[in-house]
Amino acid sequence: MRHTDNQVPEIKGIIENVYKYLHRRKEYINGLNVFPVPDGDTGLNMTLTIQGALANLPDNKGKTISNGEYLKDFAEQMLMNSRGCSGVILALYCRGLSEVIVNGDFSPANIHKALEHGYKKAYQGIDNPQEGTILTLMYEFKEKFGELMTEEKNSAVIIKRCIPHLKSVLDKTPDMLSVLKQAGVVDSGGAGFLIILEGLEREINLKQSASGEVPVSIILNTIKNIRKLILSSSSNIKNNHLGALHINGGIEKINNIKLRNIISDFQHYSGNILNQRKKKLLNEALLKDLKEMESSWNPHIKYRYCTEFVLKSDKISSQDQIKQLVGGYGDSMIVLNSNDIYKVHIHTNKPDGVFNDVSKYGELVFTKVDDMKKQHRNFISNDTIEYEWERSIFCIVSGLGFKKILEKLGADDVFCYGKKKPSVEQLVKAINHLKTKNIIAAPDDKDILMSLKYAASLGKSNVHIVESKSVISLISMLMAVSNDININNMSFTHKLNDIRYCRISRAIRETRAEDGTIVKKGDFFTMYDSKIICSEKNIKKVVVQSIEKLAQKENLVTLYKGIQAKRYNNLLPELRRVFQDKEFEEYYGGQYQYYYYITFE
Amino acid sequence: MDQRILIITADNLGLSKEQIDYQDIEILKFPIIVDGKEYRQSEEYDAAWLIEKYVKDGVIAQTSSIVKGELVEIVEANKNKYDLIIHVLMSSILSSATFAVAENVREMYEKTIPIINIDSRQLATGIGNVLMGVIDIIKEHENESDIVRLSREVVKNTFTYMVIPDLNYFARGGRIGKAKALMGSVLRIIPIVGLMGDDEDGLLVPLDKGRTYKQVNDKIIDLVEAKMAEKSVTKIKRLIMNEFGDNQDAVLDLKEKIKSLPCNDIMNGRPDLTAAVHCGPKAYFFSITV
Repeated sequence: MRHTDNQVPEIKGIIENVYKYLHRRKEYINGLNVFPVPDGDTGLNMTLTIQGALANLPDNKGKTISNGEYLKDFAEQMLMNSRGCSGVILALYCRGLSEVIVNGDFSPANIHKALEHGYKKAYQGIDNPQEGTILTLMYEFKEKFGELMTEEKNSAVIIKRCIPHLKSVLDKTPDMLSVLKQAGVVDSGGAGFLIILEGLEREINLKQSASGEVPVSIILNTIKNIRKLILSSSSNIKNNHLGALHINGGIEKINNIKLRNIISDFQHYSGNILNQRKKKLLNEALLKDLKEMESSWNPHIKYRYCTEFVLKSDKISSQDQIKQLVGGYGDSMIVLNSNDIYKVHIHTNKPDGVFNDVSKYGELVFTKVDDMKKQHRNFISNDTIEYEWERSIFCIVSGLGFKKILEKLGADDVFCYGKKKPSVEQLVKAINHLKTKNIIAAPDDKDILMSLKYAASLGKSNVHIVESKSVISLISMLMAVSNDININNMSFTHKLNDIRYCRISRAIRETRAEDGTIVKKGDFFTMYDSKIICSEKNIKKVVVQSIEKLAQKENLVTLYKGIQAKRYNNLLPELRRVFQDKEFEEYYGGQYQYYYYITFE
Repeated sequence: MDQRILIITADNLGLSKEQIDYQDIEILKFPIIVDGKEYRQSEEYDAAWLIEKYVKDGVIAQTSSIVKGELVEIVEANKNKYDLIIHVLMSSILSSATFAVAENVREMYEKTIPIINIDSRQLATGIGNVLMGVIDIIKEHENESDIVRLSREVVKNTFTYMVIPDLNYFARGGRIGKAKALMGSVLRIIPIVGLMGDDEDGLLVPLDKGRTYKQVNDKIIDLVEAKMAEKSVTKIKRLIMNEFGDNQDAVLDLKEKIKSLPCNDIMNGRPDLTAAVHCGPKAYFFSITV
């Protein structure tokens, strides 16, 4: 069932209505939080991901865009605007769907294929996929759809019939994930996914459609197509739909000068103005340009990272010893030495392994890792940036107070996202704005990691992501940054857990702590190591109890005040009176989620 | 040792004269300006006195270069008694004026008595370490070029580690160097800075930082152990420590930790007025030669 009618306005309308349907239910999804902290933002992240995609879709006024192109653009924009873990998973899933549906085939078989592909893309995008999450719903959706398509020929009807099954799967998520059971909630991401399908169920009708395009790969495909076309006869060019596209397509928006010149020459070549001799000459020139451009792209890079280091060691006696030590990690190895200084170049997939091995033999004075795939992509897309710095530390935090603290501790740039998690697009902009060849990026929330990973893949720099879980980890990490040597060898990135800390929040619903204690709605409670350790109506009492429980030999207790704790100004005198052997400091962190972070050093 | 050698140094070396196992030594006194008035180190005006004035009165203190006339006086008085004068000086990078004075005097007496100016590339106890190293050398070598060559080795292998709670004191004297990177933190941090003999720039460098003295003491020991590993030495030849008596808990903790370091000779130096000017209250530090 291949549809050729242009139904973009209709599809757009469906997506907008599904978005509104989700938007109205986002608070319900937000409330499905494992801990009763007011940071539940799964619903918000999913909503903002779709909202951002709708708002940023290219303006296609005056142009005819196919249904497939529209869906593909929408999926791309979802990725660019995805926020939080749930937003990224949803965006990856939609991208997977769009990659199949781009062919314009809305038959059950093709939709099933798309659902499988979407699930695969989402699954592959997660480091630690777990049962009982949105992934389980995605998996069950494709399975049920596959089962029902033997009985039903209408995709929309099949989707509708899948929904009751998915509801029962969602209800079972607490049995699959113990944290959900303990908190007495179903998975929030799964719930959001189901709400989207319910919205689709309401909106979907029997008219669907087709077609597509891609970014970097399109350049390669264009090269391939143009070569094929100029090697065929001129009548073929005009009759071929791709040939017609290249002849009639506007080239002014193509950034890649080489590609623009090639298409311009091709348009010239396809016209009727040139005589045979000139046409032959242009044909030869075009083929030469195409070959040159294609050869600049090497998609089969065996070892991805061009890795260099300088090792100062008196335990290594020869260049051969170094070669034996790390030669197995890759190829293109070059070793130079002067006395006890060894400069080594190698292409490898495991730069960390190389550095770990050689650091046992001496001091790593300098390290450099270049992602060659990224270099090739930058080259081919002709969209490179002038690097001004070799290496930068980039942190992503919620509070303005923490932004200032981290900047003064050695972060080169700190992105403050406030209440809403940053979108992929915002992160890409921030990464590119740094104009740094190698960026060490660390967020204050693990929920940002997926967006950051995707942003890193789109940015122009080599990005090393530090999988930090809180802003205290960032302070701990930056406390270990003091000089160029430890910035170069990145030893500080292993210092994430040097500071013990707890967090104080306020319950947005009643919950039960691990030890069975009931935390009432509105009570303050303390989370330490992902467990609720105490709760009280009064914030002072909960702070005192937390310090009593957690402070050991450490003599410095630091309170980082959140935006909601601004009005509590009298905690320190009381704490100093109660804990006379401890030293107390208080700083404004400005975080949204927690009233206080308390550290013990 | 047939050759008669006089050693000249200054009172910013972190050791008392009694702690130096060499009789033929002259110690110059650095002029210290406190709130516009000049002082010299004495029993009355010592490091503890200045630290107290910093805390109680918030005075501004600075150092001046050695006085040429005083150096000339020493050389003049000793030129006929000795065959060679060795002058061990503080880092020429940190005080180019002092080194220029010494070079000027060396040239003045070029035809009268040879003077070797040894740039310790250090301050405080680091100068003391270099001086003690030079004394070890001249006890075994008389040849001038041997003395110069071996002294350079001592300089290269001497390292100073300083815990400076307030780097503003160093900054005021214009000697903050790369350690400036540790200034201006929103969080209260305790910086560890150092002068590394093998650092070609010879500037004060940031080494690490901590939030508590216990943390910085642990980090200092790690830094020393890393330096020993880098230099492939199993023992420290000499360690000289100094403090101003105003941060006892932290100093005792460090002293306890220092015991874990393999070292031939651990000395508690004498805190000097010059160090107090630049390091400020609660600072403590030590130097090692490996």
